[in-house]
Amino acid sequence: MTEKVLLIDDEVDFLENLSERMRVRGMDVSTAQTTDNAIDAVESAEYDAIVLDLQMPGMNGIDMLKVIKERHPEMQVILLTGQATLEAGIEAMKLGAMDFMEKPADINSLTEKIKKAQAKKMLIVEKKAEGKVKDILASKGW
Amino acid sequence: MNNASPDNREGVRFFGTVSASVSHEVKNVLAVVNEAAGLLEDFTVMAERGMPIDPARLKRAAQSIQGQVRRGDTIIKNMNAFAHSADAPEAGEDHETDLAETLRLAVNLFTRMADMRQVSLALGEVTPAMSRASGFDVIHLLHGVIGAAFAAMSAGDALTVSLTGRDKGATFTLSVPGRSVAPPGDAEFTALARRLGASAETDENGALAVTLAR
Repeated sequence: MTEKVLLIDDEVDFLENLSERMRVRGMDVSTAQTTDNAIDAVESAEYDAIVLDLQMPGMNGIDMLKVIKERHPEMQVILLTGQATLEAGIEAMKLGAMDFMEKPADINSLTEKIKKAQAKKMLIVEKKAEGKVKDILASKGW
Repeated sequence: MNNASPDNREGVRFFGTVSASVSHEVKNVLAVVNEAAGLLEDFTVMAERGMPIDPARLKRAAQSIQGQVRRGDTIIKNMNAFAHSADAPEAGEDHETDLAETLRLAVNLFTRMADMRQVSLALGEVTPAMSRASGFDVIHLLHGVIGAAFAAMSAGDALTVSLTGRDKGATFTLSVPGRSVAPPGDAEFTALARRLGASAETDENGALAVTLAR
């Protein structure tokens, strides 16, 4: 199943090259170069995974992660950073990031994490749907 | 390090701040090179499997690598010049710092800081000026005033720094259209300015004039 990914980074060349590599691997990739564009993208479409740069102009990745998780708690976010410090990694995971990777990232590890994100999101969506069905059944008294 | 004087500690901390920013930029360059080289590898695998590859895609990836090598080279040259700005003068040498070159270097080093705040930093008019202050101290001083100006700016604002040489020193002028630029109020800047014999005050047009004795 095709993974739907949103890639957020302010480096144009990085976005173009990585998104092309992901497409070569069969993924459906959208990109956002600014945090405003990223928020619009998150609001207008569903993604299996979001790959987010930790240091973005205007709003840092941690703040962006908070915004995404507040609005879409089921969204799976993988943070990418130039300097992966333990503190930043712990903070990101506490805020609900699915994973944390240092740049330059290995495409195979990233692909693996995106596949895991997709599986995790499907599980959350399925559980949500199951809960809704149970609620409907309970309310109708069938 | 615990035995270092407060001046030295501030200096080392400032050197660390700039080094961290530069290393982050270098990592970004490597990340782009990594993806562009990986893309070329992907194309090679596709070609081996008999899939047609558009030469324009290969060219774009190669150009991306070349562009990043140029970018990385500039970043490292700036870092090297910054590292050498702290060199001690040779014994008996009458050391003088070229303030125009130093300002250019400072603007290059702090452009990423501006980008992160979504503001712009540009070099204004520059006339030749020399100072006996070390290049490192001048960059540290400029970091203080530029950083304070950034903190008071909003996204989209533009800061211009110009330099005017004078007989007994030089003046850096920081201006932001539509805003008044205030001098930094922190103890670190005050101590550094005192040590360099520098003064900073906002003029009637709202520009900040930082005057450095020769």
